[in-house]
Amino acid sequence: MKTLAIYSNKGGVGKTAAAVNLSFLAAQAGMKTLICDLDPQSSTTYYFRVKPKLKSRAKGFIKGGKRIAKSIKGTDYENLDLLPADLTHRNLASTFDKLKRPKQRLRRILDAVQNEYDLITLDCPPTISLLAENIFNAADYLLVPLIPTTLSVRSYEQLLSFFKKNKYDTDKVYAFFSMVDKRKKMHNEFMATVLQEFNGILQGSIPYLSHVEQMGIQREPVPVFAPKSMATKSYQDLWQEVNLTILT
Amino acid sequence: MDRQLTFRLPDGYDERRITGELENHHFIRKEESTAASFAIYDTFDWRLFHQSLVLHVSEGDLILYRLPELTVVQRAKITNPPVFAWDFPEGELKMLLAPIIEVRALMKLAEIHSQSTAYRILNQDEKTVVRFNYEETRSAHQPEAPILPDHLCVKPIKGYGKYYRKLVSRLVEMGCTTIRPDKIYFKALETVGKKPGEYSAKLRPQLDPDMRAAEATKVILRFLLKVIKSNEHGIKADLDTEFLHDFRVAIRRTRAALSQIKSVFPAETTDRFRRDFSLLGKLSNPLRDLDVYLLKEKVYKAMAPATFRGDIEPLFDFLRERRLKALEDVINGLDSEQYSEILKDWETFLNEPPDNALTASHADMPVIDLAQRRIYKKYRRVVKTGNRILGNAQDKQLHELRIECKKLRYLMEFFSSLFPNDKISILIKQLKKLQDNLGDFNDFRVQKEYLENIADEFPVTDQQSRRTILAMGSLIGTLDKESQIVKSSFSEIFTGFVSPSNRRLYVELFAVEKARTAL
Repeated sequence: MKTLAIYSNKGGVGKTAAAVNLSFLAAQAGMKTLICDLDPQSSTTYYFRVKPKLKSRAKGFIKGGKRIAKSIKGTDYENLDLLPADLTHRNLASTFDKLKRPKQRLRRILDAVQNEYDLITLDCPPTISLLAENIFNAADYLLVPLIPTTLSVRSYEQLLSFFKKNKYDTDKVYAFFSMVDKRKKMHNEFMATVLQEFNGILQGSIPYLSHVEQMGIQREPVPVFAPKSMATKSYQDLWQEVNLTILT
Repeated sequence: MDRQLTFRLPDGYDERRITGELENHHFIRKEESTAASFAIYDTFDWRLFHQSLVLHVSEGDLILYRLPELTVVQRAKITNPPVFAWDFPEGELKMLLAPIIEVRALMKLAEIHSQSTAYRILNQDEKTVVRFNYEETRSAHQPEAPILPDHLCVKPIKGYGKYYRKLVSRLVEMGCTTIRPDKIYFKALETVGKKPGEYSAKLRPQLDPDMRAAEATKVILRFLLKVIKSNEHGIKADLDTEFLHDFRVAIRRTRAALSQIKSVFPAETTDRFRRDFSLLGKLSNPLRDLDVYLLKEKVYKAMAPATFRGDIEPLFDFLRERRLKALEDVINGLDSEQYSEILKDWETFLNEPPDNALTASHADMPVIDLAQRRIYKKYRRVVKTGNRILGNAQDKQLHELRIECKKLRYLMEFFSSLFPNDKISILIKQLKKLQDNLGDFNDFRVQKEYLENIADEFPVTDQQSRRTILAMGSLIGTLDKESQIVKSSFSEIFTGFVSPSNRRLYVELFAVEKARTAL
């Protein structure tokens, strides 16, 4: 079992879209996959048409164990289950803080279900709080969507320096370009520079495409409602690369 | 979690009617219907079935299920239909199946075509909350006849059990009845005239102690004849080596019954068929020898010193070629008039009504008396022979003892149903230990001699073949060493066999009054 967190400390970079589509493609490839929606905004949960409510509420979530398994919902797709978000997730960081070993809580929570899955993906809220550290400890790998802009890359640098300062392993951090506009000269130049400067940047990138935005209307992964689209192709290529270079 | 259920429709219902009625209560979406076919595989002796396993092959997928729920145990992708365990893709499925099927071939037993239409029940958010399939199944052999009446497979979705239970109780209210999930397996095999577990080479005829000895012997022999006949096809088609093995064991047992269950048939009948079955046994000796050799190919290659490992290959190519010829001889033998005549006469004799048959001195004796007498006598013989050679066993003497043990084993197996199961099982197990020791020794010796003979015939034409001969020489050396190791443990094992506790058990089960009181 591998745990892959789709994480960024910056919002609006295509995290949820990547988490949903990559998890769907993993499940299609035959991996028993669980996608965990940790974002109180519950976009992933919405995409799968599931109610953003945990059966056991926040208390049950924090205690983990069997209560987690009971909250898991089967999605409309084979091999893919969802641990829905809950509004109370907005307080996760402060709740964890009151407990023992507050940075290891999420790992403990997921331990209870890890035997049932080949892959657990985490759709994370944009934060670098205590919850983020829980994610860093629970995940085997981090996958960071990067928009080729100064601000996005700057926050990526912040993440890496946070990792170094707090002695997390930077080797488990990977990034890919997201919401890329190939027509913008600036995007292309930027990507070239970043590829030279950082390790762990994947070749596959996700262009800025309307099909990705339509996920909110269709409430389905892109490969389901637009199987032949450029967006699907991009996510498939990215999934191949994630599977070959990160997971295996 | 709730499990998947299969429902049979009430009379008068079809796909349109049942889904139509469900639509009054549920928001249903119909998906595409898909046609699929799958085949059921097992070995000739039903090894998977005996482990409650079912193997399906569907296009490029291999799926292993467990009976009776038909839950998926393992799956794997394949490029060719599966035959032998060693051809399977590396993985958990192979590790699971290899020790079960061993050297047996998997065979396609039945093929099923199915037409499945998927339906989903949605909630207000249009989220799928239950799935069900409408399924039609046809046998590939009789496309007209459905294997099972059309049925619904209802599958729960994790976290939406409420909807699932609601649908299930609705179906029950409508008059749907559940079908056991394994029914399709048994029905599909039934349509091709097969019954799981029907073939077994294991000898377990049920005898009655008061039965006439001649009649009981015929029951045993009829069973053996069935085994002989049911393996002919697999030998000719060269499906795997176990067909010949079972065939030969049945012939050997037949010969043993004829010689060891004494004076139940007229002497001339016994003599004639003993000669006939001895002939039939010899027919396949060369083929079996080669099979044994080739099955051990890997072991032998590992035995050879590293420097010779590559040089041993031509030997096996040579043996494989020889095997083709030996197989041809066996097939010709099985197709011969002489063979079918022997079996026909044998069958006629076995099916003759008792009053027509000429009688012999022990024919009317209750079978239990004869069984006890024969087994006890054979046991005494084994003990005597073994004791005589203990400490200084010659190869030839060990060979003789091995034959005596085999006869004793067969006798105990023929008549095992007449004695308490727990006790006779202990004795058979104890005897088997001794037989394994003697058998291993014999195997090494025979294989060594076989190699020596082959070495004489192996064409030495070039540098390579000279090296192959050298490799064979080193193999002969290893086999000799191994046989000595086995031989050295004979004394200890035989002493275990003649232990007082074992002896008491033999006396208790088989000794007649006189011997018992003499104790």
